[in-house]
Amino acid sequence: MGLFDALDASGSALSAERVRMDVTAENLANAQSTRTANGTGPYRRKEVVLQEAGAGVGSRATFADSLHAARGVRVAGIVEDPSPSRQVYDPGHPDADAKGYVAMPNVNTVTEMTDLIGASRAYEANVTAMQTTKAMFARTLDLLK
Amino acid sequence: MEIYDTTQTTLEKAILGSSARQQAIAENLANVDTPGYQRVDVDFHKTLRDAMSSSGPGLKNATFSPQRDASATVRADGSTVDADVEAAAQARNGLEYETLVQISKARVDIIEAAMGRG
Repeated sequence: MGLFDALDASGSALSAERVRMDVTAENLANAQSTRTANGTGPYRRKEVVLQEAGAGVGSRATFADSLHAARGVRVAGIVEDPSPSRQVYDPGHPDADAKGYVAMPNVNTVTEMTDLIGASRAYEANVTAMQTTKAMFARTLDLLK
Repeated sequence: MEIYDTTQTTLEKAILGSSARQQAIAENLANVDTPGYQRVDVDFHKTLRDAMSSSGPGLKNATFSPQRDASATVRADGSTVDADVEAAAQARNGLEYETLVQISKARVDIIEAAMGRG
């Protein structure tokens, strides 16, 4: 059933965007953390990698096969941002090096806020897609009345 | 004479096509943040037009297949999804679907009335 698959696709996107929002929130929460959970170095910014789920639409020989192959989006992984950490001069800080510099996380709060807005808008777009699909379903059910 | 004429069969096929298009749009919106994703679309109008032309395969054999849309504008991250374009296409397709279902229903109601069940 085409429309059920559409709901699956939208649903997968809702959970993927949620993961993005969770990771962004974690980045913001740790914007000032100079130590990670295992005690080494400053916190490193994390990023979500999204990937088209299944084999994708149109990749199979028949329409029915290709419908079953496509399943929206999936989280391929959460990776650390390799960009260098920020060096801040703060000799009084317990994690300062010999020259008085502290390695701060490579988190830019403005980037995180932009990502947060992007994820939130994408979430809304997918909720709208779900509502449209549901409305189409309801119309089809009207045929039986 | 069959109960369901060509118009009814066409409406039925168009409803199938429209629901396939909704799925393609849902896929695109699901992948709105996937870098390098190429948007898909179902041009069911063209499929129906081709099927009904004299040299076409005929309505009963019409199938709707999603196609990668190579003409769409490419974003900086390689994706060709524009959320606004998808939202507009979705609104249009939703209305089209509703129209098709309502017309189908009206036609079935006429047949039912003729059968004395109206």
